[in-house]
This record gives sequence, structure tokens and C-alpha cells, in this order.
Amino acid sequence: MSDRIDQLREDFRRESGEVTGEQEATALRDRWVGRKSGLLTAEMKTLGRLSPEDRRLTGQLLNHLKEEIEQELELLESRFAAARELAQLASEQIDVTLPGRHLPAGHLHPITLLRQRIEDIFVSMGYHIEDGPEIETDFYNFDALNIPAIHPARSRQDTFYITGKLALRSQTSTVQIHSMQRRQPPLRVIAPGRVFRRDTPDATHNPMFYQVEGLLVERGITLGDLKGTIEEFVRRMFGPQTRTRFRPSYFPFVEPGAEIDYSCFKCGGTGCRVCKGSGWIEMGGSGMVHPNVLRGVGIDPDEYTGFAFGLGLDRLCALMYGLDDIRLLYENDIRFLEQFR
Amino acid sequence: MKISYNWLKEIVETDLDPRELASRLTMAGLAVDAVEPHGDDQILEFDLTSNRPDCLSHLGIAREVAALSGLQVRMPEAEIKPVVERTGDVTTVEIRDADLCPRYTARVIRGVKIGPSPDWLVRRLEALGQRSVNNVADITNYVMLETGQPLHAFDLDRLQGRRIIVRRAVDGEKMTTLDGEERELTSSMLVIADAERAVAIGGIKGGEDSGISETTVDVLLEAAWFTPVQIRQTSKALALSTEASYRFERGTDPGIVSYASDRASALIARIAGGEVLDGLIDAYPGRSAVEASFQPILFRESRYEALTGLRVELAEAERILTALGCRVRQGSSSLASGTLEVVSPTWRIDVRIEEDLIEEVARIAGYDLLETSLPGSAGAGAYLIGEDDRRATRRLLTSAGFHEAVSFSFVNAGLDAQMSSAAEESRLVLLDPIDASQSHMRTALAGGLLRALEHNLNHGSRNVRLFEIGKCFQANQLEPDGRPTEIERLALIATGARNEFDWQDAGSRLDFYDLKGILEALADQLGLAALRFDPGAEIPWLHPGRAAMVSLANGDPLGSVGQLHPRLVAGFKVRQPILLAEIDFQRLLAAARVEARYNQLPKFPTVVRDLALLIETSVTWQSIDETIRSLNLTHLVDLRIFDIYRGRELPEGRHSIALSLRYRAADRTLTDEEITAAQEQVVRILTMRFGAELR
Repeated sequence: MSDRIDQLREDFRRESGEVTGEQEATALRDRWVGRKSGLLTAEMKTLGRLSPEDRRLTGQLLNHLKEEIEQELELLESRFAAARELAQLASEQIDVTLPGRHLPAGHLHPITLLRQRIEDIFVSMGYHIEDGPEIETDFYNFDALNIPAIHPARSRQDTFYITGKLALRSQTSTVQIHSMQRRQPPLRVIAPGRVFRRDTPDATHNPMFYQVEGLLVERGITLGDLKGTIEEFVRRMFGPQTRTRFRPSYFPFVEPGAEIDYSCFKCGGTGCRVCKGSGWIEMGGSGMVHPNVLRGVGIDPDEYTGFAFGLGLDRLCALMYGLDDIRLLYENDIRFLEQFR
Repeated sequence: MKISYNWLKEIVETDLDPRELASRLTMAGLAVDAVEPHGDDQILEFDLTSNRPDCLSHLGIAREVAALSGLQVRMPEAEIKPVVERTGDVTTVEIRDADLCPRYTARVIRGVKIGPSPDWLVRRLEALGQRSVNNVADITNYVMLETGQPLHAFDLDRLQGRRIIVRRAVDGEKMTTLDGEERELTSSMLVIADAERAVAIGGIKGGEDSGISETTVDVLLEAAWFTPVQIRQTSKALALSTEASYRFERGTDPGIVSYASDRASALIARIAGGEVLDGLIDAYPGRSAVEASFQPILFRESRYEALTGLRVELAEAERILTALGCRVRQGSSSLASGTLEVVSPTWRIDVRIEEDLIEEVARIAGYDLLETSLPGSAGAGAYLIGEDDRRATRRLLTSAGFHEAVSFSFVNAGLDAQMSSAAEESRLVLLDPIDASQSHMRTALAGGLLRALEHNLNHGSRNVRLFEIGKCFQANQLEPDGRPTEIERLALIATGARNEFDWQDAGSRLDFYDLKGILEALADQLGLAALRFDPGAEIPWLHPGRAAMVSLANGDPLGSVGQLHPRLVAGFKVRQPILLAEIDFQRLLAAARVEARYNQLPKFPTVVRDLALLIETSVTWQSIDETIRSLNLTHLVDLRIFDIYRGRELPEGRHSIALSLRYRAADRTLTDEEITAAQEQVVRILTMRFGAELR
């Protein structure tokens, strides 16, 4: 009997060795251990005909063989299942180096980028951002700013008039007056916005550009506070190593007045193309608010003092991004706009 | 303005080299733009502020150098050796309009010989960019560059009646100036006349037939002081600007007139020969007014400190102010100590109040002395109201692929009119536009964006998305002070691929629903209730079948969205649809926000039921949506459309729409019967209202 079992084992081994696919493995299982027609199942059924002694012995051997066969079949099947999974995955392969699907973001205008940075700096220093009209009366555009009646800035050559009394504002300083009328000192105001001058467009001029105006009116404010404030601003804007220089200058709405220079952000002050070799970049005008301006809005210049400053965003933009032609700022060419972030 | 270093050194003996000098002067408020060599000389190019006409001369700059370096100014030689004959016996000066000419002096030099100038004079003028004419003309120029006082030389023999009358011109009066131009004058202009006619436009330019020529023998030399306003107005009206008018309109020194006359006369006698007659005719009717304008100004130590944050010794302030030419007295006993009484010199017409004196002391002492400080806190800062929403809007739009545009506030009148709903009378026109085709203040942003789009298409871009946030103007609504209303608006323009970088769907083009979707997303981002979109067949710049009026949930109108009218873009190179939206951004920002409130998460399942219906194509989604919602089905939580199918096998004029309805109860699982009943109600009402058929 054991010969027969050895024969069966040998047969199974031979047959299983010839299996090459998952289906053949299933057929092999059916053929050997299938519940109805499996060879081994049939063999088990013959046990009843044997003597109890033989039955026990042969039964042990058959069971042993069955375990062996089951193990072998599982091994075979799992090997084929793994191969099938691998094949399935392989068939699903994609080219992961192809571009991802996303909509490329648009970009903010460089003037907006700078304006927001400047606003953030000054808000953190306690300033209120304010806004003023772009079409102004003579009073706000000139009179209240102590600009003499004969000043050339008032001429139709320089300023865009709509009527004799209404003009496009020629500086954001107009917002100083609105702010001081709206609120009482102490006040700190930053007013960014568009201004207009009758300049024919060229590489360095546009008839419209952006300024940022600053105003602070409180008790006991000095030129030193102005310089300290500007120093703080340029350090936050251009880095902690940036230095500031004040030169006396003249603007009708301040006295004393000063032109602000800051050390070049590119070369640090040694001289380069950005600063035209001087090491300094002009930021804009500033000074102590003129007593006539304060009196004009009902603030007593003996009680309060204040400072004001202004800077041009377009020029700053040109310097920081290296623009060679500021007309590009308002052409809205997407090949230009997408360069800023 | 150009200054010769060598010439300057004749007036003040500075030992600073030209570059050091330029830097000192720049830091004192007289900006030197460049220092250029010229032969053995160096030329300093100044960019002066308009308040410093006193520095438009070598003497003026020399005074500054002296004050900065503690040196003395040496006035150039002006000594005259007059003959016995008196000027007053030869000519007379009559000022009829002293308001325009407060001071007029005349001197006569007899027997001059007109000829070329000596080399040194020619070279000096040339170094400063001036052309040599003849010796007498050159000397008047030279003395102007030296002292800042413009001068004019007449040929005495060519003055009718040999006399000078200073008067307003007669309206329509004509005169030919030295440049050969005939000019028509008005009664607001001042002329220098002889007994019969105008011979010069006062302070601006001499006349052709009264000036110096080769045959001139006797010279009448004018040195005068004209009031600045009239000179500026006349110069502008005649479009005639000269070295003289440039100085007079900014304000010359009324105190230097006679000295400049002496200096020029001395030079003429020396260089062109001739003899100077005795006595200067000095008609000075404005003397008392001029003198009255130089009143003592108080300088308080305390005020200096209050404005600059610096302490100054009174003696130091006095030294600086004196060096600048001021007359300074210690404050009289009735005043607090620590004060000075200061009278500014006649050349400093810009020094009028205490703050001016403070700047003078501070700038000569040096702004680099300023000690920096930061003002202490005075409360928290704040952004403009709505700035967080503006930034959120910008972020959303850039994330959706839109670049931010900034356009000029003035636009083409026709384009703006075509793309705006503003009334004709609300348009504002610039009196003097730079570009005549850009003469109107924009009433909408659309025109600017369309221009920008066109620019991009013309430069090869095919996929363009732009937005702009900016102010537009309306003249028919005025603010209390008479200004037109300014309204902040938002506009978007888009054309081309939905996503040009999606290599699987590169052919898909942006359409109406893309732009509408952005407005919906924006409202959601800002926390607003859903916007309303109603068919907008009447918007002239949009395709009548592909346009919608946009309004807030409460019905307040915002603007429009749609595809541009094909007529507007007929000339464009591309045929793809162009989408445009424009809204009143101010109103959007001000709109009421929906307050966020927590709703309990559902505990019971949502049942989704789909419905396919055949329905007339003319029935809008909005009417279907509103009809179903009008049933107020208790458990309907969501209603969506997920497909529209048009096919040839469908009846003419109908399409198939697929709806997805979601039902849920808060307290139990819904039964099949409940949901079926609800679905039947939906089908019934759509059938009743619109003749829809279940597919």
C-alpha cells in the first residue's frame, strides 16, 4: 500500500512541476483534492474496504500526503496570484514624469506687491492706511498744501484739469489734508495711490504713477522721529544693514524739508549700476508738516508737530526689479506680469 | 544751473576741491548733479529747488560756501569813475505800473566801442554754455551769471525821446523781440517803452530795433526788479522763456540791483571803452513795500529743539544766520531769553517764518547731526476697510490664473462709451490730455482690459486672463465738495484654453460658465449669499444670448458677465470667445456677510435620486430650480443638475436634463415611499409648468 502512496506522491510531484499557469493550478487542485472527483478523495473512500489495522496505517499515510499536496498547491497558487497582481500593476503603469494637472497661478501687479509690503510694514508700526479721491479740488491738491497760487505745478502744463477747479491729483499729499480733517491727532496715516502729471510717456515717465504718502501728527514729534521712522522702514523693506541719509530740500507743505536717500540695496553703498555709482538711492521728499498746513485744518502748530513723507512706487519698482522701461508697468502684457511674485 | 569752480573761487576762497565742495553743498540742500571738467576749470551742475532763486548765480553759491566754511564773500570789483555829465540830464525813467516793476534803474555809458569780447570772457561764457555775442551783451550776461541780476543794454540813440517808460502794454500792441519774432501783447503784460513804442518785454526779452548793434555808441543799461507772478504769466502766455525770465519769475534780489548795474558799467568801461555818466537813475517806488516785506522773525531755541530734536546754542544759531546774511539781534528784554530777532537778507525771499530759520540753522549745522528716534506707540495700526477682502479677492483670482492689470485712469472715449452703462452726461473729459485719443476718465474698467487683451493677442499670447481693481468716475453724481463720485470696480477678461498646460485637455476653451463660476467662487470666498444671474440680452457690449446681469442676493445690481459681442472683436486676430465680467466692487465689499453657524452633522443617511427629463431648451435652469424649491420638500437637502444632453433623436426644441436630488431627515432614515412621493411631486410640477416628460 505504501508503494501506491509513494506512486501517488510521485505522480503529484510530476504533475505539479508541469503547472505553468493559475488555471492549471486550479485544475491540479480539482484533480487531486477536489471534493467530488479528486484522486486523493477517491483514494480516501477506498479506506473502508481495508482491515482496521491497514485502515489506520494507510489513513495516516494518505492524510500526510494530503497535507503535503495542500501545502504544495497553496504555494503554487500564491505564487501565481502574486504574479497576476504584478502583471495587473504593471499594466497600470503611467509616466509620472508627465506634468501634473494644475492651473498655473496668475500674478499680482508689481505695484500691488510693493504696496502691500509697504502697508504691512507701516500697519505694524501703528499707521492707518487711508485712501483719497483721484480727482481733487484745487483746495486739496494745492491750497491746503501751501502751494503758492503761482506755483508751476498748478499749470495746465503740469496738471490734468477737468474743470478750472477740478484736477487729477498731482500727489498723494492731498490725503494728508483729508486725514487731518477726518481725525484728530495723534494720527498716523499711510496713503498709497495713483497720481497724475502731464508727462509724455518715455522709459522713465508715465502720465500716471503711484505714490505712498506718510503722515504722523502728535505732540513732541521731531525731525529725529522722522529720520528714525524712515530708518526703520528701509531696514524692514531692504534689510537691516540699510542706512538712511537726509538732505535739506524744499516742498511747500513741509518746513524744514528733507530729501531722503537710503543706501543702495544692491551694492550696500559701494556704488553700482542701480545707484548710478553713488551708493545712495533717492527715496523721496519729507519734512516737518508746515505750520500753514496744520493751521489750515485747525491744528495748533504750537501744540502738535508732525512729519510727512512721500515715495514713488514706480521708481522703486523699476529699481528693485531692474525694469529698463517703466511704460511696461501699464501695458498689462502677461509676459511682463508673470515675472513678479 | 552751471557754476564755474574757478569763477566761484574768485568770490570765495574755498580750499575744498570741486568734488568735496559738491558734496558739502549737496548735503546742505543745493544738489549738485555732476562735476565735469572744462579745460582747466571744473563745472558744477546744480539741480536747485524752486525756493532758492538766490543761488542762480556765482555770488549766490559763494554765499552758501562762505556760510558753510566760515569764509567771507569777496564782492567783485564794481568801482566806477564817472565823468561830470549826469545821467539824469541825458535820459529819464518813468514807472507807470509800480505794482509790476517796483524798481527800475538806468545808467548811461557813452562812447563805447562794440566789438568782440576778450578771450577770457568768451571762454567763461562758453564754459557755462553761453554763446558770445559782443562785448556789451556779453558783459550783461556775465554779470547776470555772477550776481543773479538780469540786465539789459539799450542803444540810447534808438530810444525815441531818449527816455524809458515802464508801463503795461496796450491790448493788441505789437513788438518784435530780439529773436526776430513779432509778438502781440496784452494789457496784463509789462513793457519797457520809449516815448513812442515798446522796446522790450519787461524782464523777459529786449526788442529788435532798440538793442545793441555794431553801430551803438551810447548804452543805456537797465537793471530792475520785476514782480515774479507777472513775469511767469507773461512768459507762459508768450511761450517765451529766457535766462532773465527764469530768474525774475522765481524771485531776484531787490537789494542787488544797483550793485549789479555798477559792476556791469565798470566792466563795460574797462572792456568796451566809453565813460560812465554820473549818477544812477534809481526809480524805486516799491521801496517801502519791499522793505516792509522783510520784517523781523523770531527764532526760539525751544522751537528749534521741538522741531529738530536737537539743542542749539543761541550763539551758534546767531553765527549761522549772520553768515547767511541775516541781521540778527538778541531777543529784546520783553521776550523770553533764548530767542533771536532775525531779518532775512533781501536775496532770501524764501525765508519768511520761524520754521524757515530753523531749517537754515539745521541745514548749515548739518542734517547728519539728527539723532534718530521712533515715536512711541499711539494705538494700533489698521488697514483700509475691506482690505482683507481685497487681498482675498486678489488671491482667489490669481489662483484662478488671472494676472493683475493696472491701466491708466483715462481711456479712449469711444471705447469707454461702448463698454460702459454710464450715461453720456456722466463722462469726464480732460482739458489737456497727453494723448488726444485717451481723453476721458474711465467710467468702467472694461475698455482698458479689452485694450490690454488686444495688446496681448497682438504679441502672440493666445491664453489671456486679466483682472483689474480700480476707481472709475461718474460726473452725474457729485460729492458735497463738488467732486465727481469715484467707484471702485472689479473687472475680469479671459480667453483661450481652460488650462493650456493640461496635456490631456488642451483643446478645451474657456466659456461663459468659467467666468460666471469665478464670480460665484468670489461671493463664496467673501462669505456672501449666492449671487443672482439673470439673462442680460440688453447689455450692448455682450453677446445677447450669452450675457447675464449680476446682482447681490438681495437684488442690488452689481454688473454683468458674458461673452463679448462679436461686433466688438471683429478686428481681432483670434476667433475664440472672449469673456468679460465687470462689477461694482465697492458694493460687493459692502454687502452683508452670511454669518457662519454650526449645523449638526447628519446622523442618518442621505438618499440620492436621479431624474432625467425631456424639457424645452428655452426653460432656464433658474426657473426649474426655483420651481422645485417652491415645493418646499421637507427632506430635500440638495438639488443639482449633472448633465444636459442634446441629440438628434430627441424632439425638436427639447433637450434632456439630468437632475440629482438628495434627501435626508435629521431624525430617522427616510423610507422608500417618502422619497418616491417626493420625486413624484417634482415630476408632476415640472410636467405641469413646463410640459417636461420623464425619460
